[in-house]
Amino acid sequence: MGPTATLPVHRLSDPAFAALAAGRPAAATLGELRRSQLSKHLLLLRELVAAGEVPGYAALVAAERADPAGIRALLSRPLVGVWATRRLSALRTGAPAPEAPPDYLASLVSGTAGRRLTATHDGLSITVRIEDSDPLRAGLGLPPTPTLTAAELDRWQQLLTGAWRLLVAQLRPDAEVLATVLDCIVPVEPDPAARGISATSADAFGAVAMSEPADATALAVGLLHETQHSLLNAVQYLFDLHDRPDALGYSPWRDDPRPAAGILHGAYAYLTVTRFWRTRRADPLAAFEFARWRAAVLTAADGLLAGGTLTAAGARFVTALRAEVRSWLADDVPATVARLATGANADHHLRWRLRNHEVRPGDARLLADAWSQGRAAPRIGSRLRPAPRRALEASSRLDLIHATLRGGPAPAGTADGDLAYVQGDEAAALRAYRKRVVADPGDDTAWTGLALTAAGSALRDAPEVVAAVHRALGDPSVDPLALASWLSS
Amino acid sequence: MPVDGGTSTTGATPEWRSAMVDVSGLSLAELAAAGAPAPDDDSVLAHCLRRLADDLARPGEPIAGFNSAL
Repeated sequence: MGPTATLPVHRLSDPAFAALAAGRPAAATLGELRRSQLSKHLLLLRELVAAGEVPGYAALVAAERADPAGIRALLSRPLVGVWATRRLSALRTGAPAPEAPPDYLASLVSGTAGRRLTATHDGLSITVRIEDSDPLRAGLGLPPTPTLTAAELDRWQQLLTGAWRLLVAQLRPDAEVLATVLDCIVPVEPDPAARGISATSADAFGAVAMSEPADATALAVGLLHETQHSLLNAVQYLFDLHDRPDALGYSPWRDDPRPAAGILHGAYAYLTVTRFWRTRRADPLAAFEFARWRAAVLTAADGLLAGGTLTAAGARFVTALRAEVRSWLADDVPATVARLATGANADHHLRWRLRNHEVRPGDARLLADAWSQGRAAPRIGSRLRPAPRRALEASSRLDLIHATLRGGPAPAGTADGDLAYVQGDEAAALRAYRKRVVADPGDDTAWTGLALTAAGSALRDAPEVVAAVHRALGDPSVDPLALASWLSS
Repeated sequence: MPVDGGTSTTGATPEWRSAMVDVSGLSLAELAAAGAPAPDDDSVLAHCLRRLADDLARPGEPIAGFNSAL
């Protein structure tokens, strides 16, 4: 009987699983997850070898006899997961083969350790490889930069030094998780549509792709965020969390509809982002981020639990995640900040509905006819449509809130309604948004502002229906608030 | 037989048991020595490899898009 006849399975105790879900994994849990990822890489490699000749494999086996621990460390690297997954997928499904040299395994064994960033604060250290040459690094989903210059590498080092100081001083347990999980950073090109972008892949546990961050705080938050994605990817390798992972729904972090699996990823990543801002909430901007994201994580968790798409393991995971963020609801934030945070979440949801829910043209016509004939509004709703592409959050009102909380001037071109809204003059904001909607019924930003400041359930619950009927009427004399009131009745 | 995400309450502490086997302690040679499971094989390794194949057939998209700066 061979060594595989009595193989154990990976397992986690329920308390360990719940602590992991709460974003507070124990060291032993991290050890199990890391071993599980090594298991995954070894199984993928085994399947590759079983399927045919793998260049460099014989040399790898020989090298393992001489240095078992060293080869294990190499095989644990995140991009080995990308290589093995892509190569096996290419064999089995005809997917594109990975852009790796044919002798990838041999180059792995003979390669150098590469360049590293290190930081130490208060007795806790982190070491991270900069992965800026492996052709597989594009597998993390963002366009990688060319190999960093010495000056660029120095900037990354300075940023890590600053970020590490922040993390160890404020969130030492989270810093310990980061030091254990983070293997490498893949520098990527900045995205013109974002102020700093980062990514992870389920095939690359412990790797973070990231554009050069604006400052140490952005790096700290970005690393916390992406490490959570890595952890959740490892959990999902072990356990099915979703019965219907592709069911589309609302994600507070994206302007496009997201699958249930993506919503959970967002909630889990923002759990630690929220925890980070919680420690700094004496600052108004940090308090805003904290108040906004704690509510958003709670909303996402509630939606997942109510959606009926989770397995038993998924329900346990989300319940523990929810309990963690719920424990922060008692933390005070200034009333003005709380108003803006609540408003920012409502703003996002309204904007998301206007963007992603559609009313069938025939339904809009039915409602328009009923309005014109003075009849009661038929009960007609909208439907969610899949988005053609990723949509990152973009909001001029949010930019204004950030500028205001920083104590800076309003960005150039700020609309009157937005200014009034952020200053708390909702009556003036309502008048301004109403005027804009009448002037241009196709202006979704104005509709969002109107829905944000007006009373009535129709605008708050389904602004896309009010907007669609107004557009179908094509009559600028129709008061959007009167129309909304009719639809609410 | 393991059940994906199944719980075991037979011990003192409930635990979540994965379908995925722990081969982290095996050498490459030991792992390769195991023959390919038959289609009707109900071993933990066969179950694990079927799930691995399912995961390969349903690749997830990279999680990209976090704006780290305010």
